[in-house]
Amino acid sequence: MSETFTLVITGAPYSSQAPQTALGFAKAAVDAGHQIDRVFLYGDGVHLASALCAPPSDETHWPDEWSRFLTQHKIPGVACIASALRRGLVNETEQKRYELPSANLRAPFEIAGLGEWVEGRIKSTRTLYFHAGD
Amino acid sequence: MTTLIMIDQPPYGAWTGREALDMAFSLAAFDQSASLLFTGPGVNWLRQTQHAGGIEQKSVEKNLTAAPIFGMDAILADRAACIAYGLDEHSLIEGVTLVDADADLLTDYDHTAFAG
Repeated sequence: MSETFTLVITGAPYSSQAPQTALGFAKAAVDAGHQIDRVFLYGDGVHLASALCAPPSDETHWPDEWSRFLTQHKIPGVACIASALRRGLVNETEQKRYELPSANLRAPFEIAGLGEWVEGRIKSTRTLYFHAGD
Repeated sequence: MTTLIMIDQPPYGAWTGREALDMAFSLAAFDQSASLLFTGPGVNWLRQTQHAGGIEQKSVEKNLTAAPIFGMDAILADRAACIAYGLDEHSLIEGVTLVDADADLLTDYDHTAFAG
């Protein structure tokens, strides 16, 4: 039976395994014919949506990998606005609102409230959490 | 759909507990059934008269005591953890229900989640 998943990532890239474990799961789920309703970044997980990550060239660029996966499969990626603002992740709207020097939200991610998580849980048959594990 | 948000980390040392509260309040705001369960060192969130101002943080005591007003079903605390941390009805904030945080309790909920 086909499932619909909402994935919640709370661990940051390069300080936790959460984003790559979640991506491995997401790819396997799509390959098996399941749907991903949305990916919600919460807490430190919002760092995955930063356009300013620049890992060494011999390391996997996890934000880039996630962006490509979301774009390819037309899956919405949403960073929690409260988590994002606290941690210095902003889109152009929030940059202007708070008069910050730049915006750094990576496409196709968007910034929105916890209501996106609530809606994802309602619409999905399963909601999975990928934590830092510390 | 009933959801239990669990907090097992003590207050102030990390932001995940605070973000777990936001998740629970958000569910309640969208008319979703939500309860909070504090276990292990997490029960210290429920201690009365915390003075978090000394470390430039805000106490969540007012938020938690107002939880029923915001539509939260229940604030639960693991009985054994409360005993271990010297918390009783005199030192806990109002409105806390003591439970045994075991597998039986979790079967009462459709979903369980941690913030991190």
